[in-house]
Amino acid sequence: MLRYIVGRLLAAVPIFALVGIFIFSLVHLMPGDPAVLLAGDNANPKQVEKIRERLHLDQPVIVQFGIWAGNALQLDLGDSVYSNQPVTKLIAQRIEPTMMLAVVTLVITVLIAVPLGVIAAWRANGLADRLIMAFAVLGFSLPVFVIGYLLVYVFAVRLKWFPVQGYKPLEDGVLATLHSLTLPSVALALVFAALIARVTRASMLEALNENYTRTARAKGLGTFRILVVHALKSAGVPVITVIGIGFATLVGGVVVTESVFNIPGIGRLTVDAITRRDYPVVQGVILFFSALLILINLLVDLSYALFDPRVKG
Amino acid sequence: MVRTKSLLASIVAGAMLSVCVSAASAAETLRLRMNGDINTLDPIATTNFTIRNAAYLMYDTLFSMDANYEVQPQMAEGYTLSDDGLTYTITLRDGLKFHDGTPVTAADAVASLERWGKADGLGKTLFAKMASIAAPDDKTIVLKMNEPWGQVIPAIGKISSNIPVIMPAGMAANDPTDPVVTPIGSGPYKLVPEEWVPGSIAVFEKFEDYKPRSEPASMAAGGKVAHFDRVELVYIPDTATAVDALIAGEIDWIEEVPSDMIAFFDGVDSAKPIAARQSGNSMQLVVNHLNPPFDNPKIRKALQWSVEQTPFLQAAYGNATERYLECAAVFFCDTPYASDAGTEAVLTRDLDKAKALLEEGGYDGTPVLLMHVTDIPAHDAYYSVLKPMLEEAGFVVEEQITDWATVATRRASKEPVADGGWNLFFTGWGFVDQSNPMTNVYVAGACGDGWFGWACSEELQELRKKFADEMDPDVKKQLAEQMQVLTHDLVSYVPLGQSFPSQGIAANLEGFIESPVPFFWNVRRTQ
Repeated sequence: MLRYIVGRLLAAVPIFALVGIFIFSLVHLMPGDPAVLLAGDNANPKQVEKIRERLHLDQPVIVQFGIWAGNALQLDLGDSVYSNQPVTKLIAQRIEPTMMLAVVTLVITVLIAVPLGVIAAWRANGLADRLIMAFAVLGFSLPVFVIGYLLVYVFAVRLKWFPVQGYKPLEDGVLATLHSLTLPSVALALVFAALIARVTRASMLEALNENYTRTARAKGLGTFRILVVHALKSAGVPVITVIGIGFATLVGGVVVTESVFNIPGIGRLTVDAITRRDYPVVQGVILFFSALLILINLLVDLSYALFDPRVKG
Repeated sequence: MVRTKSLLASIVAGAMLSVCVSAASAAETLRLRMNGDINTLDPIATTNFTIRNAAYLMYDTLFSMDANYEVQPQMAEGYTLSDDGLTYTITLRDGLKFHDGTPVTAADAVASLERWGKADGLGKTLFAKMASIAAPDDKTIVLKMNEPWGQVIPAIGKISSNIPVIMPAGMAANDPTDPVVTPIGSGPYKLVPEEWVPGSIAVFEKFEDYKPRSEPASMAAGGKVAHFDRVELVYIPDTATAVDALIAGEIDWIEEVPSDMIAFFDGVDSAKPIAARQSGNSMQLVVNHLNPPFDNPKIRKALQWSVEQTPFLQAAYGNATERYLECAAVFFCDTPYASDAGTEAVLTRDLDKAKALLEEGGYDGTPVLLMHVTDIPAHDAYYSVLKPMLEEAGFVVEEQITDWATVATRRASKEPVADGGWNLFFTGWGFVDQSNPMTNVYVAGACGDGWFGWACSEELQELRKKFADEMDPDVKKQLAEQMQVLTHDLVSYVPLGQSFPSQGIAANLEGFIESPVPFFWNVRRTQ
């Protein structure tokens, strides 16, 4: 198992190198000069030129890549051209809100979606199944910003139960964090739950038709035990895969939610960096996302062992 | 189930707790949402207005402009001018301190002015005319000019970017294009660096050692009294969210509420939109004089006759007529130098004249490149209006969809359009910069050394020089009027009207100062 993990991690190295070259080229192909944006409207060309020199933007692209790649190898992702702060610090400041949002969303999603998927499979083609699948289609079709604004209007502006925007860090207390994340997480979870409920249903339907389920039923086991202990456990592998990949998607795809609810997370950092042509931040964030994806894929693979004995060993 | 219940109970408890916490801290904290984000607190390294606004919280200036547009002493106790009109002796007030506790000295002020003089346009002019500047002792600044110049104190007291803020001499040793990383000022609020997250929040605390002047606050001048323990500049990129947050009482002030969101405040008691006439903006169509077809004066005139302001203003502000004004005055309407001289072609659309001028100018169908910016709503609307207007007049238009960052970079290019140059772009300028003939970029006529567009006129350069040296207000007004006529004749740009953005303000705040730059001293909570 250890050899497997090390092998997987080593395989990530060339992936990183490719991602690095790709993202560096892509970012530098974008039209637009960060020095001009930094200097402000009233700046003259000399001021802009001085800023370009300070940021090494006057050097050939290949030299700039060399400087960046060399530093990145030493885990130094450079300084933001926009705020002058180290990219690693900017990412570190933004990890907590995004991770917490993703985790809380995932918990809400699993709490909603897995039971719904199980019920839908158990009552396949019945009224409950149809209602649940209708919910799934609705959840999947509604854009997250529409749900977001609706939730804000009802639960924040009208009822005042939750804040309209912002994020309370964990150091203010877990409850404060959960309170600030409730609306954004629910908005995201409604979309995500739709997907997971469908996958759970499909996977459960397959498991419920297996011989071992029929045997369990013949042995006279209760419905709950059959559904949860026997069927759900073996239906778990595809569900876990979707949840794992979904988690990665959530971390990278929370841009809209972070904007609507003003959560200072990595998604917003990325979008802001792109509009400001903040090359080091864009590069750093994408490298970070790549690392996260590789790690999550690894964790998902490892978790199969919990559900499928054949994977062990 | 039990777990779910207890989770819900905890969240509701958290909700109540945080409501209590925010009620307790709301009295001392002022939460503001500016149009942009705080990436630096060095107003010399950038001309960005959001940074300027934030800088006023934490820095102070030697002189500042009052509500009558006259410059008054601020950190300065006062000044004397020698009989020959060459030597200014400025004395500092007693008890001025920087946020790190060190006293503000004349040497700090001299170093700060020198740094500002390398970055700011007016500052450069001042230093070019200056023989020397020195600090003979801790409280005295002696500034000697080569020749008498009426703009010395107005320059040091200018209200908008770059504002001549005073910082410690060590900080002022930084190159002006290299932003100071740990900014220290001497203003009424001080930055809390450990709570500053670029792209999210910048936090300021009341500076207990700040000594406000005794005079009442008047625009940037007078006593700057801090009534809050803490000021938070919260960056909320989504405007709808910001308006909801204001209505829900989570923030106290929004710099600009878009016209289509004014209706959000109907029936709301907690906050209101206020149209701030003094914080007016103007939108302009900037014309590149280097590239065909607009290198031809006749074709520039044809452009002027092809457009009119109302459709642009309606596209941006809809029926909210109280929020805009048709105005072709180069120095803004309702200002000391406002005039309607030479504005007929700007305010009137006459397609026959435009077509005749195109023919006279020998327009050969060279396409006009429109870099249609879509990420700024007002710009997006303006480009959509401009294209059919130009085509109707007989111009061939080539439109490229792009974003502001690309245009902001491309506009610096003096190359032909095919090599990355440009023909036209929209931009906006604020009231304070435009109303002053010394800082208005369109009346410089400075050719290749000027602002984008590079309109060239020795006559305009001469007029500006005369204006700077002139002391008589009536003559100055005449000179300003001549500058306007020449500028419109040259078609440096096409003015597209003036707008008065609404600020969103929490109903329980009072004491806002009328000013083109938002200031937050004096503001207090009523309940």
